[in-house]
Amino acid sequence: MSALLELRSVGISFGGLRAVDQLSFSVAEGQIVGLIGPNGAGKTTVFNLITGVYRPTNGEILWQGSRITGLRPHRVAALGIRRTFQTIRLFAEMSVFENVRAGCHLGVRQHWWQGVLQLPAQRREEAELAERTHAVLRRLQLETHANDLAVSLPYGLQRRVELARTLVGEPKLVILDEPAAGLNDAESEALNETILGVRASGITVLLVEHDMNVVMKVSDHIVVLNFGRLIAEGDAVAIRDNSAVIEAYLGREDEEAAA
Amino acid sequence: MTVPPARGILAYRNEAIGALLWALGLALPAVLDSSWVAVAAIFAIYAITALSEDVILGRGGMFDMGHAVYFGIGAYVTAILNTEFGWPIFATLPFAILAAAAVGALLAAPLIRLRGDYLLVATIGFNAIFVLAMQNNLAGITGGSDGLTGLDVPVLFGLPLESQSAMFWLDWVALGIVMVLMRNLDRCEFGRTLRYLKQDELAATTLGVDARAAKTLAFAVGAGLAGLAGTLFAVQLSTVSPTSFVFTESVTLFAIVIVGGKGSVPGVLLGTALMFVVPQFFRQFATYRYFAFGFAMIAVMVLRPQGLWPRRIQNE
Repeated sequence: MSALLELRSVGISFGGLRAVDQLSFSVAEGQIVGLIGPNGAGKTTVFNLITGVYRPTNGEILWQGSRITGLRPHRVAALGIRRTFQTIRLFAEMSVFENVRAGCHLGVRQHWWQGVLQLPAQRREEAELAERTHAVLRRLQLETHANDLAVSLPYGLQRRVELARTLVGEPKLVILDEPAAGLNDAESEALNETILGVRASGITVLLVEHDMNVVMKVSDHIVVLNFGRLIAEGDAVAIRDNSAVIEAYLGREDEEAAA
Repeated sequence: MTVPPARGILAYRNEAIGALLWALGLALPAVLDSSWVAVAAIFAIYAITALSEDVILGRGGMFDMGHAVYFGIGAYVTAILNTEFGWPIFATLPFAILAAAAVGALLAAPLIRLRGDYLLVATIGFNAIFVLAMQNNLAGITGGSDGLTGLDVPVLFGLPLESQSAMFWLDWVALGIVMVLMRNLDRCEFGRTLRYLKQDELAATTLGVDARAAKTLAFAVGAGLAGLAGTLFAVQLSTVSPTSFVFTESVTLFAIVIVGGKGSVPGVLLGTALMFVVPQFFRQFATYRYFAFGFAMIAVMVLRPQGLWPRRIQNE
């Protein structure tokens, strides 16, 4: 399998703090890769580096073999990379339908003046956009909420709306930042199914997750960070047995169990 | 909280009411004397300007506190081309629009990354520079503090629009066109893109929105429409001077959008009516009429911060 996304010795400093240091890993096409680590390990920072929100101080980020380091976020999106956010970022004054349709932006061909004049080609495209949006809403069982104000929905549904917004753009890679945060057991179980379904539709997934149940169950490959550095990688079994990981991350649970 | 489907009867009803009111407005010269027809004409012109400010402020969420500059550029381009070079009024119109749009885009490009409050201060600066440049007779063609006078009467298809009624109809038709364009803005990707950026710029850019390009375009479009209004303004007064484009005019345009309702055509029209038409009824109170007006603004902001007629949430 070829690497869809590759990080080579990527690092970033904020003032004196080395948030991510010499980080290298790759995401193969068609995989689900889990990025884990204790709080403050730099997981979200890695996502911000990949999506162009931050520019790395050093190192390179490669997409299908070519350098994308330092591209602005909208250019990164144009490559076929979409993301969700740890703190859900839905458009607050828009319905579920409108939020999800926003994910179509890059595929839109109409020019502004065609829209302002409501020319026939533009109106046809609007109908197509609505159809694409409804198709994704149906797929994620959000159809009944299409006209609800997105931010008025329960947390779990808001996460799903955000996911729908990434999927409607037919991305190659989706990056999910703690998709199970705030979900109850049933919801996180449903999320596992959804993530596997996304991969089954041919989309590669990179996720940061605290919920071990989710990460261990769905990930083909797991990358473990601590203090901005990679401390281990491998499949779920290897990570579970890795002493460095247990010490840094799972160790806390052992202590709790012992106490 | 469920939002009713926007393409339902309600949406069409509002549009039908808008179209009807506009059509009834065409009859205003039949029922008003000519000084009130002039007030109605000025209302139409300021309404276009306020709607153009709404593109940038209401829809784009960018704090443009120098919008009178673009209005002024339109007026000056028409006045200069007409009085100094003898161009017919309607021939100056495309140049007024394009010049204002170009200045809007050029001024906006370097400022677009500024956060709201910084952008606001920078646009105030542009307004001050513009007024000073006009007062000081820039390039010897702006007429200094007195401005330019004696514009020709516009001639449309060989028909001189001499009477106040004819000029009112010109302004009213222009307002009707701009209202339709603004409605269409809600139904196209460009209009939506501005709302994405306004509501969450980071989320928008990670969905592929080129923030700089979209915001610059918003400034160009908003400024261009203000340029159109500027031409109409120059024609209506047949004179153009710097006092019409001072900072307080920009403040008023800003306030109209906020008080009326950001991104709402009926809201902005209502705001314009309150700012420009209602004060006309209280002329005998001279400057005190603005006193009541100030209190009204405060009351709206405290009691109804979303504006008098806020934007409806729409779907398709």
